[in-house]
Amino acid sequence: MTTVTTTPAPTTTATPAAPGVLRLLLILAWHRPALLLLNVFIWLLVHASPVLVGVFMKGIFDALSGQAGAVVSPWTYLALALGVDVMRIGALAGGVYAYASYWAEVVLRMRRNLLAYLLTAPGTRRLPDSPSEAISRFRDDVEDIGEYLEQWIDVWGLVLFAAIALTVMFRVDPLMTALICLPLLFTLLLTNALRPHIRRVRRAMREATGRVTDFLGETFNAVQAVQGAGREAAVLAEFERRNAVRRRTALTDSLLAEVFKSVNDNMVNVATGVILLIGAGAMQRGSFTVGDFALFVTFLPRLTGTISFLGAMMVQHKRTSVAFERLSALLHDGGPETVVAGAELHLRDGPPPFVDPRPAIEPLRSLRVEGLCARHGDGALALDDVSFELPRGSFTVVTGRVGSGKSTLVRVLMGLAPREAGAVWWNDTLVEDPASWFLPPRSAYTSQVPRLFSDTLRENVAMGRADPLHLRRAIELAVMERDVAVLHRGLETEVGSRGVRLSGGQVQRSAAARMFMREAELLVFDDLSSALDVETERQLWEGVFAQRRALAGAAGDGSERAGAGTVAGCGGATCLVVSHRRAALERADQVLVMEAGRIVASGSLRAVLAASDALRELWGEARGEALEARPGGPTSAC
Amino acid sequence: MTTTAASASPAAARAPTLQRYGRMLGRYLRPQWRAASALALLLLGSIALQLLVPQILRRFIDAASVSAVSGGGIDAAMLADPVWWAPGGLAGLALLFLAVALVTQLLGAGATYAGAAVGWTATNALRSDLARHCLGLDLGFHKTRSAGEMIERIDGDVTALSDFFAQFSVRVLGGMLLLVGILTVLWFENVWIGAALTVFTLLELAVLARTRAIAVPATTLEREANAKLFGFIEERLAGIEDVRANGGGPHALQRFLVPVRTFFFDTRRAWMLRSVVWLSSYGLFVLGSLVTLGASIQLVTIGAITLGTGYMVFQYMVMLQAPIEQITQQMQHLQRAGASIGRVDELMRTESALPVGAGRSLPGGPLDVRFEGVRFRYADAAPGTPPILDDIDLRLAPGRVLGLLGRTGSGKTTLTRLLFRFYDPDEGTVRLAGVPTTDIALDDLRARVGMVTQDVQLFQASVRENLSFFDRTISDERLLAVLHEVGLGAWFSHLPEGLDTFVKAGGGNLSAGEAQLLAFARVFLEDPGLVILDEPSSRLDPVTERHLERCVERLLRGRTAIIIAHRLETIERADEVMVLDAGRVAEHGPRERLAADPGSRYARLLAAGRGSDGERHRTHPDLMELA
Repeated sequence: MTTVTTTPAPTTTATPAAPGVLRLLLILAWHRPALLLLNVFIWLLVHASPVLVGVFMKGIFDALSGQAGAVVSPWTYLALALGVDVMRIGALAGGVYAYASYWAEVVLRMRRNLLAYLLTAPGTRRLPDSPSEAISRFRDDVEDIGEYLEQWIDVWGLVLFAAIALTVMFRVDPLMTALICLPLLFTLLLTNALRPHIRRVRRAMREATGRVTDFLGETFNAVQAVQGAGREAAVLAEFERRNAVRRRTALTDSLLAEVFKSVNDNMVNVATGVILLIGAGAMQRGSFTVGDFALFVTFLPRLTGTISFLGAMMVQHKRTSVAFERLSALLHDGGPETVVAGAELHLRDGPPPFVDPRPAIEPLRSLRVEGLCARHGDGALALDDVSFELPRGSFTVVTGRVGSGKSTLVRVLMGLAPREAGAVWWNDTLVEDPASWFLPPRSAYTSQVPRLFSDTLRENVAMGRADPLHLRRAIELAVMERDVAVLHRGLETEVGSRGVRLSGGQVQRSAAARMFMREAELLVFDDLSSALDVETERQLWEGVFAQRRALAGAAGDGSERAGAGTVAGCGGATCLVVSHRRAALERADQVLVMEAGRIVASGSLRAVLAASDALRELWGEARGEALEARPGGPTSAC
Repeated sequence: MTTTAASASPAAARAPTLQRYGRMLGRYLRPQWRAASALALLLLGSIALQLLVPQILRRFIDAASVSAVSGGGIDAAMLADPVWWAPGGLAGLALLFLAVALVTQLLGAGATYAGAAVGWTATNALRSDLARHCLGLDLGFHKTRSAGEMIERIDGDVTALSDFFAQFSVRVLGGMLLLVGILTVLWFENVWIGAALTVFTLLELAVLARTRAIAVPATTLEREANAKLFGFIEERLAGIEDVRANGGGPHALQRFLVPVRTFFFDTRRAWMLRSVVWLSSYGLFVLGSLVTLGASIQLVTIGAITLGTGYMVFQYMVMLQAPIEQITQQMQHLQRAGASIGRVDELMRTESALPVGAGRSLPGGPLDVRFEGVRFRYADAAPGTPPILDDIDLRLAPGRVLGLLGRTGSGKTTLTRLLFRFYDPDEGTVRLAGVPTTDIALDDLRARVGMVTQDVQLFQASVRENLSFFDRTISDERLLAVLHEVGLGAWFSHLPEGLDTFVKAGGGNLSAGEAQLLAFARVFLEDPGLVILDEPSSRLDPVTERHLERCVERLLRGRTAIIIAHRLETIERADEVMVLDAGRVAEHGPRERLAADPGSRYARLLAAGRGSDGERHRTHPDLMELA
């Protein structure tokens, strides 16, 4: 139920003073300069070569109408046109290959950068919305940027075509060329006027799409609840309502696009009409040939095409800036430069072997927390001046009612949620950025509702660490051996998306094994036991304590005994445990009782039971003295 | 026993035939025949006008040439001459040209818009059908698919199809008509030119028909690579804290390179194969246009046709380029649509492992529950492993409350899933009110069985919608009554917008206890005859838990119930206790009797919980020992 108790993400707005879209695009494009230039060159040929075909057509018609200028036979022009077209087909084939290679790498690099920042950058990281909403940014916004880059590759050839075509036309008839240009310019102006509307409608459509995909995601995440309640029809009706809204916005979008297209196309017709009206006289005077007419009319659609392409590009420029804004908001403090940074994807050679980046660290002697404060998203105080100390090898349990701030405390401590004030000391080092400090080998963590990934159980637990002995120990410590033995394919079992093929308890113990596998100095358990039966939980804590004892012995010898802390898990580890279960409380060296974000009592279990009404209440209305008669069994086993 | 995609692989690999496109088109366009006919009319009008334009140009050139022969230029006298402005005069022709072009534009724009409207209606219907179908599939299907994958398959694939619906009719059918129109005009004009261009067009279509299918398998792979890539990202984002706090970022990024590479190579391959289609059609077009030009040169040279006609032929040839390019381009969409249709079909052919039974309904009031020799094993379990439930016999009289105990993995949750018919048993029968679950209409069954688990699934939607699962037929009065009944009255009175208050992503503005009560409220709304509580309070602290107690009390009144518990105190209210061990019934009997029998497992558990203090078992029998 973490999902319910988490503080909402702080509302983020777009980072101000972002660098220009074009500069970002250039950085993005320039990671593979040779491939980029090759693309530009090929598509220059593809887009500009039709200008030659137009000239050859004019030659054919002039030769046919017996114009004085035509000295070559029409067949020669025909052969030349054939040559240009053959070249163009070759260029297109090469262009598709070159561009596909380039485009796929560009969008993948952006997606990799986004994921890398979200998963590894320093600082507290929260998604602005649901994961499925974030996916729409990974998919659509990245594609928008890719599309704009594509336009920048295409534009040079189109502009070259327009420049040559206009020059040729101007030399034939300057007045007519000028008159044709007027409607084209008008198109451009009108296009610009429509730009803000396009942007607005586009955004509405994307939001409507997001509401549809979000809903699908939530529905299929909750499919058991929906089916169990027999509410498929009602949920479907809601899906249809959201789809209908999306249809409406999409149609508005398509209507606007049609207006755009019509404006452009009509300008071609108006321009052709101008040629007809003025050309009629010129033809009769002989200053304008049928070949010239063919030339003008052949060039015209491509010229307007270029104009509307430029208009579309301006729109795309806006869209791209929106995309960069949305991606920056996703990264929170990353900024758009992060999106376009370079990254090696190992596309050709395949990924290199994984090297676990475990920095050498100073072993924990004590962890000190002073005056920690934090707020919920709605501004309410979540942690109020929390201070405590964890000595090396101690076992500390944070307890208290739901909503008292237990989870928040460990999450703020580890930098998973933002803190407002307070200091954390690792020995004598002040921890500046807890999110990048509290990582293995310093610490490891199991969340209240752990997530597994669609992969094998081995991958989920090992997470890049290969040592089989380690893995076995971690599984053992997490009381997973029996489960692994009966699983379909043991450790190689695919756990399904989010681990759905495992039971709730198995998921939680897999997450514990994952944590043990990190070999960290500090282990943080956020209510590990919520899906475990009491017996399994007891075994787990027993294992943890046995391990700690074994290591203490080994450390005492100063020798490296096999099977001890050198191999796995929690040897000598300091444990910080959120729990309200007896199995954990009874083993605690220190209990921290929380109430409304404050520590209201701390010390040994006996001491806090005596001091805290809250804990006594939690303890199940037990009288403090009941503890005097602590059952010998489980506790003394430690 | 899970879902089966009937003959999935060979069918998916086979290129979809035109009949499948046709079937799909027919099924979703038939209900919109009015809009579709309007679309057709707009299309026909615009095509007819398009055919007219080169005719006007021919007249113009020929007329201009004739005037040129007679000499003279434009002067004031000429502009005043009504012949100049007459329909056949040069200015008249120019104006006619403008008018025709303008109307063509309008009709074309109207057709495109109508096409989009029809397309969206059709694809939304398809989305609904798919979502309905998938919601009806059993849990075995959903267990193997991430939500991200479902988004891709229901929305992603259908969006690829929307091009097919929206554009296919307008661009491909309209293009075809235009082609036929142009060829007909050319046949009337000159047999040779008509014949040459017809051969060219037929050749083109033959090549298209042949190449159309080659990119479909590659496109399917491309879409799968897409789904895998975004599935990977979605899972990591959902588990972002687990990944980050365990230093799993670098490793996740390393694993990410696998779907990245697949995406790269599959995408490029699909693009290349698709480009073969339009490149070959473009090559043919170049060939055809050069041949036509050659024919025109020859015919004008020998004087068989006028220069104006020669120009008109050239113009028609240029006009052929647009529909052919559009058809080939739409063929690309068609290929993508083909791949999507394949996947949609596959999904639609995936049948629920739960056969439709006799559709009997259940009586009102508390339900009688019976398990008779039930054995069950998950479909994906290894052949050698023991069944998850084995030889289960249980009879629970109406109104009785059963406490279900057992280790994690002993089969407790699975047993309750059979009651919901999320799965069917491999052997034996599960009966509710004497009726085998397989014979009960599924909606009736699930409406009469209610469940509360520790996972409360919330939607980003209003409180009303979260309570009612979007069922708008439930009145606000009823919702309010239920909220008060579960003890959320005080909470509700603080909501800023009442039932319309929006529940944030992940339930940010609800506490754990409130969310849990909301789940109880959902079950109250159903008014079930059998209630299953799957350790609903395990994530709550004991104080909050006690607030739930009253609510549970009310829920169980007059209903049969099964309570799964990790803690013994949870089943204090049970009439009977059953202990499961490795899928078998280890013990079953009235709670009081088992508690009194010192040899029973239940009594041993109680004793373990009691510790040395005989008075405490009622409140904290936590230390449960299943020896």
